Amino acid sequence: MRYISLKRFGMLIMLVIALGLFIFVTTHAQANSPSTPDKSNAAGSPNWALAELVSGSQLLVVTPPSPTQDTCLSCHVLGQNKGIWTPLARWLLFGGLGLVFAFGVYRSANTWVTRSPWRSVTSRAAGWVDDRYQVSEPLTKVLKKPVPKYALRWFYCLGGITAFLFVVQGITGILLAFYYKPTPDAAYASIQYIESQVYFGSAIRAIHHWCANGMIVICVAHMLRVFIMGAYKRPRELNWVSGVLLLVLTLVFGFTGYLLPWDQRAFWATTVGSEIAGAIPAIGNLALVLLRVGWNVTGETLSRFYGLHVIVVPLATVSFMFAHFLMIRRQGIAKPL
Amino acid sequence: MSDIEHKPEDSIPFFPDHVRTEFYVVLGVLAVTLIIGIIALFKPVGLGEPADPLNTPLHVKPEWYFLALYQILKKIPPMVLGIQGKIIGVALPIILVGLILAWPFIDHKPDKSRKIYRYRMAFVILAVLIIIALTIWGEVS
Repeated sequence: MRYISLKRFGMLIMLVIALGLFIFVTTHAQANSPSTPDKSNAAGSPNWALAELVSGSQLLVVTPPSPTQDTCLSCHVLGQNKGIWTPLARWLLFGGLGLVFAFGVYRSANTWVTRSPWRSVTSRAAGWVDDRYQVSEPLTKVLKKPVPKYALRWFYCLGGITAFLFVVQGITGILLAFYYKPTPDAAYASIQYIESQVYFGSAIRAIHHWCANGMIVICVAHMLRVFIMGAYKRPRELNWVSGVLLLVLTLVFGFTGYLLPWDQRAFWATTVGSEIAGAIPAIGNLALVLLRVGWNVTGETLSRFYGLHVIVVPLATVSFMFAHFLMIRRQGIAKPL
Repeated sequence: MSDIEHKPEDSIPFFPDHVRTEFYVVLGVLAVTLIIGIIALFKPVGLGEPADPLNTPLHVKPEWYFLALYQILKKIPPMVLGIQGKIIGVALPIILVGLILAWPFIDHKPDKSRKIYRYRMAFVILAVLIIIALTIWGEVS
């Protein structure tokens, strides 16, 4: 009878109640939503009834300020460029001065109260953290790790440049993703918008474009350096393997990113590229359908490539980079003969 | 694992010395990207014609870094030794990447002298020249 103890029984009852509630809530929600979608409302337009219901609550509604009061951050976003700089400069100047003043007051008061010389904010913060997590000793060990002098020659910095270019790609890519729309109708126009309307949009896109090319060049150069100097030999075999996988991921970045402008070159290059994948024996058709989401390059392909380009491949790249760096730290930089 | 330990006189600490040199490199790369950005303000990357699935352009070309591979694919005859050329063209890059991946396990003996660097350098230059030639051929054809 141990198995029907009160505790287990109680848990079972809780489970049944939770399940019942879940079923009730889901079916209830089903019953409330219209079973046949309203045709006039079907094309992705908002649920106005719900919006009205929500906007009945005063807290949830944002009312824009009147035009005379609007310092107009929104104008800046919409490209109207009306009066953004003056309020921004004002905020920075007076806000900064205010912070300095407040800090001065606090510092004077603190020196007065404690009757001891002022300790700088950074050393206080470091002390606070170290007091709780005891990081200073391991951190010193990490930071003071000796780096051999031969690693200061120029061809040892190629890998670091690749990593930095990846960071550049991440930042510019996020900025582009704010404005880019991955649908066949809107993709081309959104890139035209980025190039012509968005502030520094053409610069950001050009940096993303050229640094992508540069990243491939420098990544390959790094690989050739490692190859020539035999730095892949025992005990660094896995570092080489992860590096090659990183190069492949970089190429996948290039391949998926190339489709996103949705112009003729992009479309047909992807068509040909996925056709090549389709020629693989045995799994060719599967690979083709997985890449294209169907038998043709369509809007679904664009969505898939966008998802791969901005989420899947970056995550994979970051994890491999982490492994790559960790192994370098653990094993040190290979010594040339 | 013996080459991990370094004597103090032929090494520098990671922080701040090595980080500083890396920082200068980063600044240099950043300057290049900024120059690219400034040039692009006057001369954007631009776009081609909008995609049209019904209208195949005459010359379809991938990006430059796939061009050499694409050129090989194009020039492989339809039948080689009773195997379809298409399959060879696809298998070639897969085998190549597999070979590169497995290379440390194939060439696993420790290097004896610096002489081997020369041979590897010569091999690399040859391979790069072939790839560049194929790329240019693909670009002009």
